[in-house]
Amino acid sequence: MKPGSDRLLDVEELTVRFGTEDGAVLAVDAASFALGPGEVLALVGESGCGKSVTALALTGLLPRSAAVSGRITFAGRNLPGLAERELRRIRGRDIAYVFQEPMTSLNPVLTVGRQIGEVLRRHQGMGGSAARRRAAELLELVGIPLPHRRLGEYPHQLSGGMRQRVMIAMAVACRPRLLVADEPTTALDVTVQAGILDVLRTLRAEIGTAVLLITHDLGVVADIAERVVVMYAGRTIEEAHAEALFARPSHPYTRGLLDAVPNPARHADGGLREIPGRVPVLATSPDACTFADRCGHADGVCRTRRPAFARGPAGHLVRCWHPLAVPVPP
Amino acid sequence: MTVLELTTADTAAAAVPGSRRRALRRVLRNPLAAVGLVVVVVAVLAALLADLVAPFPYDRTNFGAALQPPSPAHWFGTDELGRDQFSRVLFGLRASVGVGVLSVALSLAVGVPLGLLSGFYGWLDPVISRLTDTLLAFPFLVLAVGLAAILGPSLATATIAIGVAQIPAIIRVTRGETLRLRGMDYVAAAVAGGAGDGVLLRRHILPNAVNALIVQATVNVPAAILGEAVLSFLGLGLRPPNPSLGGMLSSAESLFRDGPWLVVFPGVAIVLLTLALNLFGDGLRDALDPREVRR
Repeated sequence: MKPGSDRLLDVEELTVRFGTEDGAVLAVDAASFALGPGEVLALVGESGCGKSVTALALTGLLPRSAAVSGRITFAGRNLPGLAERELRRIRGRDIAYVFQEPMTSLNPVLTVGRQIGEVLRRHQGMGGSAARRRAAELLELVGIPLPHRRLGEYPHQLSGGMRQRVMIAMAVACRPRLLVADEPTTALDVTVQAGILDVLRTLRAEIGTAVLLITHDLGVVADIAERVVVMYAGRTIEEAHAEALFARPSHPYTRGLLDAVPNPARHADGGLREIPGRVPVLATSPDACTFADRCGHADGVCRTRRPAFARGPAGHLVRCWHPLAVPVPP
Repeated sequence: MTVLELTTADTAAAAVPGSRRRALRRVLRNPLAAVGLVVVVVAVLAALLADLVAPFPYDRTNFGAALQPPSPAHWFGTDELGRDQFSRVLFGLRASVGVGVLSVALSLAVGVPLGLLSGFYGWLDPVISRLTDTLLAFPFLVLAVGLAAILGPSLATATIAIGVAQIPAIIRVTRGETLRLRGMDYVAAAVAGGAGDGVLLRRHILPNAVNALIVQATVNVPAAILGEAVLSFLGLGLRPPNPSLGGMLSSAESLFRDGPWLVVFPGVAIVLLTLALNLFGDGLRDALDPREVRR
């Protein structure tokens, strides 16, 4: 997205610190990205890179031990400046979430209809029968057959894929402008996954919801995302249109991620290629590239100076002193 | 994966209302619990219908037939004033069941909200928990007897005393459940959907804590009935001539040599009722506890 055009969500220099018993942990380090209306942006990275924390920070869902700084502008309002009451009104109505665990994210003692209806009653002041009718429409929208019968069922009567569809139905009940999907398909098997991604695509077409998709699954990214932001150790390290990122990854870490995707054609010679080492857990933001210790291209400057998030040889943003110029072989 | 899914489904199943009916069916498959339930139902009916069932008013004296052993006319015999013991046991049952149910209702009405608040708001927890600990430091009966002595003897004060003495246990159970449920994914999901604290507590936490509370209540009702018996025995419960099972035992104590049946029937009634409640409660706990389901 071009800067200056109308943005739905603009995250600037978002920093999140957790005070833990073993000292401070820097979970998100000055992350910046933006999202236009109706756009699908994928936030990609390994476990612990700060992508889920970023998602939760948007509407103030982090525990009190988290110190959040930076600006999060959503539809012209700075979210961290809002009172809890205001945020509650935004959650579920303007910004809705779908989480990773469909098996446990539904209340076991409430029927599906009640749980969807609750959101409608809360944010749209609907009455019982109107909420029920709308809930049935929503179930139909997310591809659940016999929606009227499902309304009266309890979560344990549904499969994992069905439950995730119900979660999505709840999330989009109020036609949110932004849907944050945090690993929505990770707990599901591959065929169900494809179905859920189809649902997200449909919703975007029908409701015009922008989607912030958080995932570590590059297959999912390629399937649905328009733009991709790669995070590493709390920093955003590369941002590009999906095709550009897959064709010409500029950060060695992104390249490493792509190389680690199992691909029979490319890995015919032998085994998966891994990135050596682990994601560091940082207490403070180092004046260095956080990937330097795992990077084959690292030199002195990488370890002593912080790279800026700037346009690289492939024409998109990358945070690297020595961005790669070589495209990925097809 | 399938194994994991089944486990989750069963765990969830134990908590939903539809499966509460199924849980009841499971209870009835346990013979001891089924017997317990039948005895409880009979006792409750007898207590409710005492006016219709009892052959004599509980305070009708007949000095011509004092201290009669059990006979076709007086099934449980008569006391030193010639009152029909069968009738008095039925009315005594009414007092016992009434105190049992009402005092447990009182303890739930006070304990559940306090437990929810204590578990949900970390800053309130130390205050409520220390108060609970203080009350728990007194044995249940000592606390109940002490309170009844302060409030004065009557059935109402016995009910209040026993109810108050049971509040700490209810707070504990509710608080524990709240702490557990607060960390559930569906509570987090509800927060992300914009739910406020009231909705979280009412809709998401309390309904899921009900199973634990049902179990605690089935333990507390017999304890309350015994508590009433003790208070009445000590003269802190129902005043004569109104019968309560404990009061009957108390007045029969001095007549034990001349009329042992005066001790036996109310005593047996107390034992049977509390035993039946405990058996039913145990069965219910097994049926509702997801870990116990697949033994």
